[in-house]
Amino acid sequence: MMEGPDPLFMPVRELGRLIRAGELQPIELAEFFLKRLEEIGPKFNAVITVTRRLALRQARRAQREIEAGEYRGPLHGVPYGVKDLISTRGVPTSWGAAPFRDRVLDLDATVVKRLEEAGAVLCAKLAMIELAGGMGYRQPNASFTGPPRNPWDPGTWTGGSSSGSGAAVAAGLIPFAIGSETWGSILSPSNNCGVSGLRPTYGRVSRRGAMALSWTLDKLGPLCQTADDCGLVLEAIAGPDPSDPTTIQEPWKYDEMTTRRRFRLGVLRGAADDADGEVKANFEEALRSLRKVARVEEVEFPDLPYEAMTRTILNAEAASAFEGFVEDGLSHGLTAPEDHFGPYSRTVVLARDYLRALRLRTAVCREVDEAMRPFDALVAPTSKRPATPIDVEFRKVAPGATKDVMGAVGNGAGLPSISVPDGFTKRGLPTGIQFMGRAYDENLILAAARRYQSVTDWHTRHPKV
Amino acid sequence: MVSMSEGAEKKESEILFELIRERYGGRLSADELEEVRKAVDVIAENAEALRRVGLENWDEPSSVFRPFRGRR
Repeated sequence: MMEGPDPLFMPVRELGRLIRAGELQPIELAEFFLKRLEEIGPKFNAVITVTRRLALRQARRAQREIEAGEYRGPLHGVPYGVKDLISTRGVPTSWGAAPFRDRVLDLDATVVKRLEEAGAVLCAKLAMIELAGGMGYRQPNASFTGPPRNPWDPGTWTGGSSSGSGAAVAAGLIPFAIGSETWGSILSPSNNCGVSGLRPTYGRVSRRGAMALSWTLDKLGPLCQTADDCGLVLEAIAGPDPSDPTTIQEPWKYDEMTTRRRFRLGVLRGAADDADGEVKANFEEALRSLRKVARVEEVEFPDLPYEAMTRTILNAEAASAFEGFVEDGLSHGLTAPEDHFGPYSRTVVLARDYLRALRLRTAVCREVDEAMRPFDALVAPTSKRPATPIDVEFRKVAPGATKDVMGAVGNGAGLPSISVPDGFTKRGLPTGIQFMGRAYDENLILAAARRYQSVTDWHTRHPKV
Repeated sequence: MVSMSEGAEKKESEILFELIRERYGGRLSADELEEVRKAVDVIAENAEALRRVGLENWDEPSSVFRPFRGRR
């Protein structure tokens, strides 16, 4: 046990304040979370590598600097973990895939460098669905570290593919984590694990050093205890990077000022229609809370094939990104049987259809932006089902959940979205609400999510682990 | 707008599947090939949904090409 304040489940903002005040010491804090990662991590299959030696080196440095008055900011001395598709020099980077389990890349990803510059302490490489789910997995058991178990009920799934990132934050193994999303991989584990997760605008965060699944869809973003923490972490990792030409050229600054104006929120017509009853009830209750601080109106998108567009782009780019892997037959070494044959179908997406999807995307970006213009954000249930059983194909349990217009539009058009918890099912599983903004509007959706968290307490509840 | 009859769509799907079987059939069991066939049908359905949307000659892809010039 640590002396002084208990850091378990403490938001990053509070940890930073106590570290700066000298009430928490970075070395002691790193030891606290390293122990949890080592002892509790295996219970949830949440961790691939605990970076003990690196963490203690960074923590000692942070402590020295802070004692010398060289304070770097709110992440200085704060432990964190990264999804194991983010490269770290000298530490294995497995992409969650058995064929790469011992591979060490000679590269620190830009996000890792930026967090080091912010003084954060890297404690773990976190479990994930193999190759970020890019081979077409259908079940939780799709990682060489075993099926990622949900801290709220280990008999259920964390969601994916940033599974360990969700589980580790939810179980208090780490104060924050970095995940990635191509289509759903930050929001899904945020929903299932009851944490706050932010998918930034495409290009906001450099992907240099992160596994590529789909070059025009991949994004990196934080999973944290609160929306406010997501803003703090995003500020540290966002910004232009000459080694990733897709990065937005303007730096991004978190606007943490509380706005008192009424928000304007849109609800996509039919977005919750086929949701599970309890998910729908929690979403409707969330809308009732939001109506106290926002004007809420229904909105409709133009009738366009959003899911076909985003799926075609993802299939074509993933087929190319993993061409050598598939040609060499390496998919047959993956954990989930369906990932052995899953990639072959994508090898026959026609070039003209991929280009058609990219041409349609130009129109979709304009049309969707026009539909969203009257609103600060669109809100919807993050997932239509709560966490599914750990040993069952999730599409069999939740066939309706495969329809995901918000995900297809949001990822296809590169829009930011944040998921925060909005309640629990009778079985005690969290459900989530997402706030999706227009491109570059991270500050607006963060403000809306913070306001929601100021009138609710779902984010303050934690599983007993 | 480019659109095919259901029969033509099915035929395209079968031709694409045959290409996979020709290239990779030796690695895949009969059950796995059947799963691949279903997945190719979905890819063809997605393509058909995209082809039903009208695009003009000047509707460009969202990716922008920028010529590169290194330092002297």
